[in-house]
Amino acid sequence: MTSASSRSILTHSIPEHEEAFSPSFDIYEAYQRALTNPEVRVSPYPSSFLSDSLHKISAPLAAILSLTELITQSDAGTMFELVKALNDGAEALKKRVHNPIGLNAGSELFIAFVTLFPHESASFSELKTELVRQGQIYATEALLFRPKIAELALGFIKDDSIILTHSYSRVVMQTLLHAHKRKRISVYVTEARPRGLGIKTCEALTAAGIPCTVVLDSAVAYVMDKVDFILVGSEAVVESGGLINAVGSNQMAIIAKAANKPFYALAESYKFHRLFPLSQDDLPTHNPGILSFSQPQHHLTPELVARPSVSSTSRPALKTSINSSSTPNTLLPASSVQRTMTDEQISRNPDVDYTRPDLISLVFSDVGILTPEGVSQYLVGMFAG
Amino acid sequence: MTKAERRELQERQRAAKAAKTAAGPAAGTPTVNVKGGGGGKLAQPSTPASPAPKKGGTSQGAAQAKALAAAVVTGPAKGAKDAKAAAGVGEDIVGSRGLRIFSHFALQKTAGHVAKGDVHPAIVRLGLMFAEFKVCGANARCIATLSVFKQVIQDYVTPQHNTLSRHLNTHLSVQISHLVSARPMSVTMGNAIRQLKLEISGSDIDLPEQDAKDELCHKIDNYIRDRIIIADQVIQETAMKKIHDGDVVLTYARSSVVEQVLLEAWSEGTQFSVYVVDSRPMLEGKRLLSVLAAASIPCTYLLLPALGSVITEISTVFVGAHSIHSNGAVYSRAGTALVAMMAKQHSVPVVVCCETYKFSEGVQLDSFTKNELAPLGDRFSSFPLTRPRESLTLQNRPNLEILNPLYDLTPPSSITAVVTEVGVIPPDSISSIPLALGRQMI
Repeated sequence: MTSASSRSILTHSIPEHEEAFSPSFDIYEAYQRALTNPEVRVSPYPSSFLSDSLHKISAPLAAILSLTELITQSDAGTMFELVKALNDGAEALKKRVHNPIGLNAGSELFIAFVTLFPHESASFSELKTELVRQGQIYATEALLFRPKIAELALGFIKDDSIILTHSYSRVVMQTLLHAHKRKRISVYVTEARPRGLGIKTCEALTAAGIPCTVVLDSAVAYVMDKVDFILVGSEAVVESGGLINAVGSNQMAIIAKAANKPFYALAESYKFHRLFPLSQDDLPTHNPGILSFSQPQHHLTPELVARPSVSSTSRPALKTSINSSSTPNTLLPASSVQRTMTDEQISRNPDVDYTRPDLISLVFSDVGILTPEGVSQYLVGMFAG
Repeated sequence: MTKAERRELQERQRAAKAAKTAAGPAAGTPTVNVKGGGGGKLAQPSTPASPAPKKGGTSQGAAQAKALAAAVVTGPAKGAKDAKAAAGVGEDIVGSRGLRIFSHFALQKTAGHVAKGDVHPAIVRLGLMFAEFKVCGANARCIATLSVFKQVIQDYVTPQHNTLSRHLNTHLSVQISHLVSARPMSVTMGNAIRQLKLEISGSDIDLPEQDAKDELCHKIDNYIRDRIIIADQVIQETAMKKIHDGDVVLTYARSSVVEQVLLEAWSEGTQFSVYVVDSRPMLEGKRLLSVLAAASIPCTYLLLPALGSVITEISTVFVGAHSIHSNGAVYSRAGTALVAMMAKQHSVPVVVCCETYKFSEGVQLDSFTKNELAPLGDRFSSFPLTRPRESLTLQNRPNLEILNPLYDLTPPSSITAVVTEVGVIPPDSISSIPLALGRQMI
């Protein structure tokens, strides 16, 4: 299996321009624009809802907005052409984005909506305008999902709770900040390497006056006894009822299960994704490069390759991680060795992982508090009918 | 056709005679009328001691004796159901010591049973094929039944003072009960027949007879196409995506859908290998093996006891299903549960490929309440045999009764995903599928 790793890791980032829609329109650009500069400004809702954590809208909504833009630009004259253009657009977008899971969920939802939308309009262009309007209304309304989830989750947060969370998630932030208004909470957050987004969470929470401590990703099991429950956000909630989230969530869920602590996931309903990963390798983000073994730079005897700690010869590629291993770590001054992963090593690691449904206690979403089975039933009802 | 008609006439006369004798005091008559008028089954005059090998190795002289005893004990049976119950009771009384609790598993029907009533010759033929396991497998049986029903409908003439929409159903019921007497109905057949009966009773009274019949046949064709053929294609496309380069796929026995999935994935250029796990007495995996090997897929063939030593190498388990219950439990070839549980124990994903028309409303808690007996002997072996087949297989003897349940029940907890034509769904959500599709579809 590892021999397949010779394939380029970066194949997904190669853009292809064979789309059915007008070539002048770049959907990726529209997507980026939607991500950074959303239509929040035209929102009819009071700005108090849109706290600072909402500067950027999430990937599924950006995908929906960029697809509505595609509809306005598209010269499709029939429903068939339009749906094809949308599918091509979603496909093109997927190829340009490093981690397409979130936007897939959004484009899937919007395309399903377009396909099922009753046509009552007199002309097709009118229908298109209506679709665009509906898409934008949805994206605007969807901004209210997070406050709703925060309110739902509040009932599960007891006074004086100690909460463990992972990485940085806007919906978790909003929930924690909302809970802080009414209850005393303290939060442990994992560092979430390699991006270190946990530190961002910690800064934001501390600024809001919530006691917060960053823990190592490897200290999750240590801290598990102390916490009351785990709250994580999500990249997508899949049809099995499982969760796709920043890497580390799965191990957190496994430890939580072993310690019998509830593991709660927060997910807006536009993150529900029609996908059924059977294992970690089955995720759409998986490519042969992930977790592949690096070929040794020098020709070493097999024993040395198998047990790198024995090697005293200089091996530049592995120097950072191995050089020091012959000496006890404690004797070395901390500054003398750089023990960090190289970019190349990091690139061999996954960004997201899949958490099985049986490890998840509840999924909080704007459609209600669901069990993992409930999520799958909701998805079956939404797409299978 | 003329030959068949002649045969039909003959059979009808024999059935009438049987019915007449049954009406009399059965206990006293010397005629060997096994199931009375209801079952319509005449016993072959064979002595219990010498089983005839031509009955597919399943000849059960003892069973006939038991059935005879049943007729003696219960007297004239009143209907098909009575006769069936009587047979069960009889088995209990005379029957073997150990297997009394399995008496409700359907008895093996031998070739000797005779049609009762106005049974279409094609149905008689199909009944024999079912009883002999010549047509076997949920999809194959359903398609065969529906195709034969098309013929039955075309040959049907509405009697005077009656309408097609009211009378055809009763005519079909006779055919169905004949098929059931040959081998218990599969869930797929049940679902299809229910749909067909619904269509018949809903057909327009004012329609000319031929048009109504054509329309029904058209509907049957559509059902076969939409619910089985197209569904299988969609399942193939979906399940194929779950096989990746370098995977080792394990499958148990032989499922037509799984076979297609593997072939399709291979023809798409995915590089994988297959472990075919098989088990006696049916050894259906040999057939799958020959098909896969012919397509030059790297295969390994092993029997169920060897599963433990290879399970750690497996990436995904694919199995088919006879039916799937609303709690997500899968009713499939005996041995599937074992494979699924073993895979679950080793965290190997178990994927069941199953069309939505296999959904069964009921909930079954174990594979004991309802099951069938597998045919005795190694029927499906294409392996060249130097010795006669009968000498290789166990036979029922006075102190030996062989129990080979045909199906078992895989609990939803050991299934990862069910691939249906409406998508990949976890077994817990099976119950929401009929709702999503609309009641009348199932």
